[in-house]
Amino acid sequence: MFENLFSDYSLTVGMLDSIKVTLIMSVCSTTISSVLGVFLAIMLEKHNFKGKKLVVRINRTLMGAPPVVIGLLTYILLRKKGPLGDLRWVFTIKGMVVAQTLIITPIICGMVYSYLVRTAPKIRAFAKTMGADKWQTDKLILSEIKNEIYFSIVTGFGRSISEVGAVMLVGGNIKNRTRTMTTAISTLKSAGEFEAGIVLGIILMIMAFIVQSLADYIRKEATEDENY
Amino acid sequence: MKITDLKKQQGSFLLNVKNAQFEAGKVHGIIGANGSGKTTLSKIIMGTLPYDSGSIDYEGLTDRDITMTGQRPYLMHTSVYNNLIYPLKVRNRRIDENLVDYWLEKAGLQDKKKQYALSLSSGEQQKLSFIRALIFKPKLVIVDETLSNLDPDSADLFERLILEQQQKDPITWITISHQLVHIRKICDMVHFMEKGNIIEKATPQEMFVNPTNPSVIKYLASTEVSFKG
Ligand SMILES: Nc1ncnc2c1ncn2[C@@H]1O[C@H](COP(=O)(O)OP(=O)(O)OP(=O)(O)O)[C@@H](O)[C@H]1O
Ligand SMILES: [Mg+2]
Repeated sequence: MFENLFSDYSLTVGMLDSIKVTLIMSVCSTTISSVLGVFLAIMLEKHNFKGKKLVVRINRTLMGAPPVVIGLLTYILLRKKGPLGDLRWVFTIKGMVVAQTLIITPIICGMVYSYLVRTAPKIRAFAKTMGADKWQTDKLILSEIKNEIYFSIVTGFGRSISEVGAVMLVGGNIKNRTRTMTTAISTLKSAGEFEAGIVLGIILMIMAFIVQSLADYIRKEATEDENY
Repeated sequence: MKITDLKKQQGSFLLNVKNAQFEAGKVHGIIGANGSGKTTLSKIIMGTLPYDSGSIDYEGLTDRDITMTGQRPYLMHTSVYNNLIYPLKVRNRRIDENLVDYWLEKAGLQDKKKQYALSLSSGEQQKLSFIRALIFKPKLVIVDETLSNLDPDSADLFERLILEQQQKDPITWITISHQLVHIRKICDMVHFMEKGNIIEKATPQEMFVNPTNPSVIKYLASTEVSFKG
């Protein structure tokens, strides 16, 4: 069945490259989103300011925002005549990473923030009794919720590999360059090559399965922690 | 340590300690009914709860000299050993394995050194948090009902531990407990709290054997333990 990957229409559609593009894009966007999301969540939990509730609500909204809308906004920003057109990132992997970062960062930030709200005050009080300074306290908080952080990163990665709308709009589904596994599937469908589409679909599902198993493993560890 | 006109509004509850003094190097007990403000006061002394007005004179004690173990102690998501050495790591002190083993043995946790701390029984968790508070040689230790789940033998052991410490190298203790037998044995001074204020301070002898304050008499009468004779 997997010989489909090396057949004629596979070459025509660029199936192997689409796997590479998906991995590069997802790893990059998840890495950037993790750093940004965790940092923003910490800042948001730590500081009280006017409008904080609104910011949290906007974050929640973005967590559930349709990716295609974010894709459209990114496209408008990056297109040749757009405000960031000089970057020439439209129809490149870089552009797709920008769109995906905008989609995933709120997800990671929102998840980490809700863990922090629940646990950080307790950890902070404990750190004080141990004589920890500010920096040591922040380090302790991060290490105490590290399982939850891993879990939200894995969730973000899962979103990234399975997303279609935004990468289609911003990347343009260009063969061997910005065609991802998901957009390759939709191209194969249009060409009536269902069998090849299914092969790619299965590979995508296997990737999602591995990522999900990892998430479950981490979550299991985390709930065992609470089981005292 | 001296407290003057300390106020803290918490919902409908007002903590209002007019005057309290905790002499250094002594074991102080705080007793009083549920909800009289013992935990609230101890958190304020620890610095984990802000207060509205008044003053606390720490008489030279710094953040790193004071520690507290609570009713439900916080244990880090790691091993018993890592929990125990955390205050030493915070202070960049060398980890003396003999010292670690000494304390583990005192708490009867020597076999559980590598065990995941949150899988300890609740009494074991309390013991761990207690020795973790002592291992770095603090100058003021606040113990808020931390030892309430201990079996009688362990409770005796920890009483002796506190008394031993006081003979060797006296530090200041503030212990909160409803176990009056325990308070009576270890304390030099007992403070009685009612409705957010400390209304009586006396030696255990005066407080338990010859109480004069009507509130104290009422509180003692309602406890089942007899102290006479
Ligand atoms: N966050 C809060 N919001 C509102 N009320 C609070 C809050 N925390 C404590 N209180 C109230 O303050 C009062 C004193 O509580 P505190 O925990 O200090 O009592 P306590 O003397 O330690 O009691 P116990 O013997 O049961 O431990 C209680 O009536 C409690 O309901
Ligand atoms: Mg209490």
